[in-house]
Amino acid sequence: MIDIMCEVLTPKNLAEALLLLSSADSTTKILAGGTDVVVGKTQGSKRFADAETLIDINRIEELKGISEKNGMISIGAAATFSEICKSKLVEEKLPLLKKASNTIGSLQIRNRATIAGNFVNNAPCADTVPALLVYDASIEIKSQTATRNVSLQEFLQGPYKTLLQQGELVTRILIPVPQQNYAGDFYKLGRRRAVAISRLTLAVVIQLKEKKIGDIRIASGAVTPIGTRFPKLEEFAIGQKMTDNLCQELAKKMGEEVLAVTGLRWSSAYKLPVVQQMFYQLLKGLER
Amino acid sequence: MEIKFVLNGKEVAADISPSIRLLDLLREKFELTGTKEGCGVGECGACTVLMNGKAVNSCLVLAAQVNNSEILTIEGITNGEELHPLQKNFLLNGAVQCGFCSPGMVLSSYALLEENPNPTDEEIKDAIAGNLCRCTGYKQIIDAVKQTAKELKVEVKV
Repeated sequence: MIDIMCEVLTPKNLAEALLLLSSADSTTKILAGGTDVVVGKTQGSKRFADAETLIDINRIEELKGISEKNGMISIGAAATFSEICKSKLVEEKLPLLKKASNTIGSLQIRNRATIAGNFVNNAPCADTVPALLVYDASIEIKSQTATRNVSLQEFLQGPYKTLLQQGELVTRILIPVPQQNYAGDFYKLGRRRAVAISRLTLAVVIQLKEKKIGDIRIASGAVTPIGTRFPKLEEFAIGQKMTDNLCQELAKKMGEEVLAVTGLRWSSAYKLPVVQQMFYQLLKGLER
Repeated sequence: MEIKFVLNGKEVAADISPSIRLLDLLREKFELTGTKEGCGVGECGACTVLMNGKAVNSCLVLAAQVNNSEILTIEGITNGEELHPLQKNFLLNGAVQCGFCSPGMVLSSYALLEENPNPTDEEIKDAIAGNLCRCTGYKQIIDAVKQTAKELKVEVKV
């Protein structure tokens, strides 16, 4: 019998959870789907070595649900990927998020794993991060005494490092409803289709006006140390005519930017042409 | 801690450590050994059970999280001594060889048919993508699920 030897607290509402967190130290961790924490504990991961108390946030209504209000879509931090995949609102307005959520683990994992759990540890392979970044997502963070909103890009500081402070909890993910004339796509490359940790992920949304790029947002996951946008590349593309030449040029530049971030690695000979081809194919799919 | 939950349709209680896995709670406390442990890290699906109607890996759920929920294991889908149509069709289609993945496969298929009585091949593949089989082969399993869907539909019509 495996016992991960932790106390498990089950607050019934957000106020209770924040109260528990306010007096907690680093030995207290948040437990949601358990797909990271429980595996981390049973496998002896260093990230959870000091965890003695787990706060289970699954039963907190305030952290659930997906809704739209005043041009903002609000997703509960503890919404599961199955809930996100089934949401009509997400399907209609955030198709890249649906596509990315659908590539996560297996149905069993998606039935438990939560959206905030995907990025709150800032693991480089978090599949929803590139999609959330191109949608300009921000997150609401609460402690017992304060509420603050930060952009996801700012929240993600470095591999396994975020802005989250002791006593704070990610409560909601906020995404401005994209305008109608945006098209986009997401691609994940893993060793197989199901239950695979992503090797490379890319997301792009684009607004075309008479074949000219009015706006473009590009983000990567897994291929870079943390999920990131490509502002230089975006700036270069905006205003240009969407041609095959431009797609090729952007793909080439994307490779150079990735290389600049990661440095030359043993895997670069494989990864660079793949990331370039992936990006080229994504852009071609949106050319219309 | 004392937990209460519904296990295979019956209300049960257990006085256990809150941080043991649901998998161990089922196998060792309730002696329901139909639920198997494969990888123990949520990748193989051998420990699949239904929690509130949804397929989950019981190796990733802690006992404290089971409190006040409904759990269905492979032992709970039979009607007394009579096998569930999925179990019968797994046998008829040769979808069981070593049998280690079968309880999880059957429960993932069960959850699928509850939600979608008329699944396509792709939907079946998606539903069992988190259940690894290393000897039987997936074709027979997919055939068994398809045959069951057909039979259950006929029953509903009558």
